[in-house]
Amino acid sequence: MAGLELRNIAKSYGAVSVIEGINLDVEDGEFVALVGPSGCGKSTILRMIAGLEDITEGDIAIGGEVVNDLTPKERNIAMVFQSYALYPHMTVYRNIAFNLELAGKPKAEIDQRVRAAATMLELEPLLDRKPSQLSGGQRQRVAMGRAVVRDPSVFLFDEPLSNLDAKLRVQMRSEIKQLHKKVGVTSVYVTHDQVEAMTLADRVVVLNKGSIQQAGSPMELYRQPANTFVAGFIGSPAMNFFSATITNGVARMATGEVFTFDPAANLQEGQAVTVGIRPEHFQQAGQGAGLTGVVSIVEPTGGQTFVTVDIAGQPTVVTVSGDDDVRLGGSLTLYTVPQQVYVFDATTGRRISKN
Amino acid sequence: MTDTAQPIDAATATSGGRSLNIRTKAYLYAALLLVAAIVLVPLITTALGGFKTLGDLRGNAFGLPQTWMVSNYTDILFSQRYWLQMGNSLLIAALTVFLIVTLSAMSAFVFAHVRFFGSQHLLNYFLIGLMFPAATAILPLFIRIRDLGLLDTYWGVVLPQAAFGLGMSILLFRNYFRGMPSEMFDAAFVDGAGYFRFFWHITLPLSRPIIATVGIISFVGSWNSYILPLIMLNSESKYPWPLGIMVYRGEFSTDWQLILAFITLTIAPTVIVFFAAQKHIIAGLTAGAVK
Repeated sequence: MAGLELRNIAKSYGAVSVIEGINLDVEDGEFVALVGPSGCGKSTILRMIAGLEDITEGDIAIGGEVVNDLTPKERNIAMVFQSYALYPHMTVYRNIAFNLELAGKPKAEIDQRVRAAATMLELEPLLDRKPSQLSGGQRQRVAMGRAVVRDPSVFLFDEPLSNLDAKLRVQMRSEIKQLHKKVGVTSVYVTHDQVEAMTLADRVVVLNKGSIQQAGSPMELYRQPANTFVAGFIGSPAMNFFSATITNGVARMATGEVFTFDPAANLQEGQAVTVGIRPEHFQQAGQGAGLTGVVSIVEPTGGQTFVTVDIAGQPTVVTVSGDDDVRLGGSLTLYTVPQQVYVFDATTGRRISKN
Repeated sequence: MTDTAQPIDAATATSGGRSLNIRTKAYLYAALLLVAAIVLVPLITTALGGFKTLGDLRGNAFGLPQTWMVSNYTDILFSQRYWLQMGNSLLIAALTVFLIVTLSAMSAFVFAHVRFFGSQHLLNYFLIGLMFPAATAILPLFIRIRDLGLLDTYWGVVLPQAAFGLGMSILLFRNYFRGMPSEMFDAAFVDGAGYFRFFWHITLPLSRPIIATVGIISFVGSWNSYILPLIMLNSESKYPWPLGIMVYRGEFSTDWQLILAFITLTIAPTVIVFFAAQKHIIAGLTAGAVK
């Protein structure tokens, strides 16, 4: 077990730079999720940590030792791949044992460690099967077994759940969390699914276009997004954004609607801003003028219903209780609380409200 | 958690989906029978012709023999010459297949997985071999083999055959290797395998179909090869069967029934090998076509 440090990591293919100045400290035993849209470079970062991809600039250190030029084996990392990447011609047992065999461990030790890993992941009845005889979830567990058995310094997960169906994904998610609790190995988990990242990780790192947007605990990212990108990425359904201008300390939209909020610093009169409000932060009763619009889409999910309301000509998603009677074409008046109104600078995207 | 139910594989499950109407079916069968006949009629004629007397063969080329002359076959089967020639053919073919499969699998692996300066040019250089019929190069080949002192040896036939087989085999192997998921290579690399161990422990065991395909193509090519042994070999004791037939024909120029019997017996091994490897060959040739 060891901590992981990325210092000023950069990666470019020729003149095209894909990763810029990544600095990240992962403490010993911490579970960190890298999350971002497709093509943001999260998988490349993971592959660089693994040693499957060269680093153009910067240093990667595991347990304080710079590992830039070491092979994956020498770095003592284990990786779980999206496609599981099991060896189809080997039994589950041999799949798990393969890296120990390559390391030239004695037979008895291999057997004992494979069986221990199999017990932990409840794979014992499947040890003699081939991967083609397993279901998706079982294959996933074998892939994890292969990683656990070698007792690595760092665990790397590359979107391990995206090939599973929704129900199994939730189940495997909790299994990964339990596994991490049991073995306590430093883990880096890459996903494009923010729910997965938030539920699993101690700390979430949001990436976009090859650089870190914000790193923090899941609730920190949700409550205090650093910029519009993080605000829009974290939370489901996504935050609603409105263009407005600062007038007399409030944000006023071109159509006249006004949002009051808690500013973090002095505001400039006439500053162009983006106002962000989460769907779940709209209330149907409150003080002030409120925002009124016509309901254009109703999406019931059971406990909650997502309603799209046209406010100032802009479709706005609102989460209401599933018990509420919301009719298509009806009108809805919404209120906001100043503490739940996020305001961002329109040009830099940075948050200028207190929350 | 420990559900042991087998997943249903849609690719192999029998589908009762679409059934053909009677006219399409009739057309399909007619077309398939025609194609099959083009292949089968000469084969059967040859095999049956071997059982006939010469007079019977002249008067009734395609029908069943009036008297079954089993002795035509047994005489050949009990002759030393037949087994000598089969042995020669088998030895040459086995050496050729071994060389082609090992060399082309190893070089194709490099072309598929290692990026290095000039790899594309080198690959093209190998592929040029595809366009080169051995017959056109026969004179320089003869001179080279003579200079190497390999005339009238098995290696004099095996080495050129292997060289000419490499182009096609590398192409087949490379395409197959490239179709293997790259994540598997990453996983093996993380597990601590280098290129060599990945090749040996992962790539080769998964390449059975393509090894069978390349093996059978090279085997049949070598088995039927005529011009190279003709030029390179002088002593009759080293002749493979196509040359043997030539000699046989020279001796028994009028006894066509014996020649037909001889041919039937010499193609039998390839037919057997082909049937044995058929399942793998089909899998090998279509590998990578769909995921």
